[in-house]
Amino acid sequence: MNLYLVKRILALIPVLFVVSVVIFLIIHITPGDPASVILGESATAQDVEALRQQLGLDLPIYQQYMNWITDVLRGDLGESYFMKESVSEAIFSHLQPTLSLAILAQIIALLIAIPLGITAALRRGTAADQTVMGFSLLGMAIPSFLLALFLILLVGVKLQWLPVAGYKPLEAGLWNHLKYLILPAVSLGAIQSALITRMTRSSMLEVLNMNYMKAARSKGVKERQLIYKHALRNAFLPILTVIGQTFGGLVTGAVVTETIFNIPGIGQLIINSVERRDYEVIQGVVLFVTCVYVFINLIVDILYGVIDPRVRLERK
Amino acid sequence: MTKPPLLEVNELKVHFYTERGRITAVDGISFHVNAGEIVGVVGESGCGKSVTSQAILRLLDEKDTVEYDGKILFEGTDLLQLPEAGMQKIRGNEISMIFQDPLSSLNPVFSIGSQIAESLMLHQQISKKAAFEKAIELLRMTGIPAPEKRVHEYPHQLSGGMRQRAMIAMTLACQPKLLIADEPTTALDVTIQAQILDLMLELNREQGMGMIFITHDLGVVAELCSRVVVMYLGQIVEEADVETLFAQPRHPYTKGLMKSIPQMDSDRSQKLHVIEGMVPTLDNIPTGCRFAPRCPYADYMCHERPPAYEEHAAGHKVRCWHAEKIAQEEEERSYVS
Amino acid sequence: MDALGSNAKRLELSQVKQTLKKEQRRLQLRRFLSNKLMLTGSIIIVLITAFALVGPYLVSYDPYEMDPVKRLQPPGAEHLLGTDNFGRDLLTRIVYGARVSIGVGFSVALISAAAGMVIGLYSGYYRALDQVLMRICDGLMAIPGILLAIALVAALGPMTENVIIALGIVFIPYVARIVRSATLVVREETYIEAMKAQGASAARIIWMHIAPNTLSPLVVQATFIFADAIITEAALSFLGAGVPTPDPSWGNILYDGKLVIFKAWWMTVFPGILIILTVMGLNFAGDGIRDMVDPHSSLSFKRKKKK
Repeated sequence: MNLYLVKRILALIPVLFVVSVVIFLIIHITPGDPASVILGESATAQDVEALRQQLGLDLPIYQQYMNWITDVLRGDLGESYFMKESVSEAIFSHLQPTLSLAILAQIIALLIAIPLGITAALRRGTAADQTVMGFSLLGMAIPSFLLALFLILLVGVKLQWLPVAGYKPLEAGLWNHLKYLILPAVSLGAIQSALITRMTRSSMLEVLNMNYMKAARSKGVKERQLIYKHALRNAFLPILTVIGQTFGGLVTGAVVTETIFNIPGIGQLIINSVERRDYEVIQGVVLFVTCVYVFINLIVDILYGVIDPRVRLERK
Repeated sequence: MTKPPLLEVNELKVHFYTERGRITAVDGISFHVNAGEIVGVVGESGCGKSVTSQAILRLLDEKDTVEYDGKILFEGTDLLQLPEAGMQKIRGNEISMIFQDPLSSLNPVFSIGSQIAESLMLHQQISKKAAFEKAIELLRMTGIPAPEKRVHEYPHQLSGGMRQRAMIAMTLACQPKLLIADEPTTALDVTIQAQILDLMLELNREQGMGMIFITHDLGVVAELCSRVVVMYLGQIVEEADVETLFAQPRHPYTKGLMKSIPQMDSDRSQKLHVIEGMVPTLDNIPTGCRFAPRCPYADYMCHERPPAYEEHAAGHKVRCWHAEKIAQEEEERSYVS
Repeated sequence: MDALGSNAKRLELSQVKQTLKKEQRRLQLRRFLSNKLMLTGSIIIVLITAFALVGPYLVSYDPYEMDPVKRLQPPGAEHLLGTDNFGRDLLTRIVYGARVSIGVGFSVALISAAAGMVIGLYSGYYRALDQVLMRICDGLMAIPGILLAIALVAALGPMTENVIIALGIVFIPYVARIVRSATLVVREETYIEAMKAQGASAARIIWMHIAPNTLSPLVVQATFIFADAIITEAALSFLGAGVPTPDPSWGNILYDGKLVIFKAWWMTVFPGILIILTVMGLNFAGDGIRDMVDPHSSLSFKRKKKK
């Protein structure tokens, strides 16, 4: 086992600890008592007290945290008071749409960003380059939900090519599944691609000027291979970092995008929970998504080593 | 027995288009390399020697910023007329190149073996496995110990000398007829330098390939080359076989270069000779002789009109108004000593 | 020989001068170009701020006044940008919304800049504090911003002030990180050592000597946060988890617009364009300032090896 990997995983512990404390505390900064909020204004004092005990709200705060975190570590994120199901079940049943959306959006982002970034780098200073960079500047100023709304106006209302709301699970057939996801995924992916394009371009520019590119050309390597094998693999590290970082943006965007397109995913779960003040669910979802985010960045770090032997071997 | 030379560069000009306009980095140079011969190309940095070598392999960005003139005949074929696909067949196969800094010239994300194997697989019908075996063979030939192990290592794991050996192995993979070495030892330690030079000399004798050896170090030239081309500011100023050049330099620049070599037996209290002034930039080339602003012999004529490049003795060409005078001086000097 | 030598030197000197002049001209051009970016950004920001400040005195409608008869009127002479689903004048809503959206963005930038600066300075200066504060920042940054903001607003209650507080908390770590790394650099300077030796108090060193050196990265970061905060506020309000209705904010208008998107494109397009313009202006300004204070950041990749 790689020593670096162990260190990297150990370093996650304080981060996740802080995350859990922050998320736990959020409920407790609520003005007023969660129990009475849950039960509404018509509840009797007796009912509120009973619920407080049931939720463990009468205990000292560190005790509450200990109880909660022990449950969390066992995989128990608590019960949704409104949905009468466990939070983990709620998350699980809303996971597939979000996962599909995020993956599809990431694929679209890369399909747009990498070729555009490479083209811009190869034709630096030309009109093509400036157009790509212009679009990328524009992309960084448009929130993805806004692009989603514009796309609905254009594709959904004017052209009527694709459905603008709803969701079909994968079991309903791949095309049915994708049909509903294309617009939301494009709106998310296109915005994500803005930053990745910029990164690809500058990273490629740096690599293209390296001596080993000239040396490879002097061996008779063909242009295509030169770019896609020799250059891209070297340029990919910074791109990978951005991909890891933008995943946070992807989740963020997915939350909003899902509500626009009426997709029953994690985003909709949290928004409905906010409306119902279902704190257990809010807590659970935020914690879950954060863990996924942290985990993805860990994978990015591991991929570093796979791509770049310098990283792999230094860390041994 | 007039066998045509392996490589013949004829009135080669290389222009770059930059923000400051068209710049001519190499301005009409001609020289040749015979099979099995080592030709040294000497000059200060910025004289155009690297541009020349990269022009031969057409490694300079041809798309929009570079324009070539003249001819580069390799076994009778003009490389400047070849389409890109034809060039790719020549690069690494017929002509290959060693670069100055082995660390930055090897791709950090591929193992040494796969980079050597790539050269082989590009130009020969050979399986990956066979290519790797050949790579081990090549590494052994260049004197790398335990090549079976090294072949799987990455550039940053090797020492500087090892890297250059690996680089040499890579360039020799397809047994090229011509090897261009662009300051292959400059980035290395002095002891390693000697080893690499020995290796190159040995390989030259064994494989009989022609070699262009680019350097600013006249000492290396004396050791390795049979003929020398001295470049200054995009032009050749002197060409001769190595003995003649060292015994009877006829261009003030060559003389200056030689004087700036520290000599073990000379008086150490004497200051090392320095050529006055600095190399002008390419967009600011002097009207007359290009070396005139720095030349101790320069007179009115030199500043006004560029001298011609003429053959003064058999195989000894010089570009200087005062070549005869300098030859006389040198003769007197050697007579005195 | 001597004359020639000095001649050579003179020639050399004039060459150096010429090269320097050329270099200078190129630098000026670069400055101008980066200024042009900043100029464009600043003009956009000034125009939109003026729009937010002066606009309310120019429009003749009340942003809250509903008129069921005039629901969803398309842009026209009476209502320049049309009316919304409650019959309110859209231009008026957008003008007042600009106050809210830009106000929230600016307050968030200010709060996170101030708090982030204090945290960054102190954790950069005191090693022990650094360990604790930076772990907290790492933790906060690990939570996707909008989820943290949603949870915080849900807990604090849906009020504009709470949106500002929530977003402030979200963005503080991003400032703190940058101020901290600037502090770490300055702290190692010899003159700071000298000041310590002379017995200057820590507070004096931090605020009089280190803080000014962290200002330029701070301003750049605050500009980007300003832009991000506007986007995030819009997203929160659009979700119904931000600025409470019926207060107008660009996100709220979009929220209303979403309900009638098939009938009233103008409710989506106009506030949308304003958000994009504002964010773009701020991004340009941020890029421009960064290029000015740190010329290497954007030019480093433009260097091309030539030999």
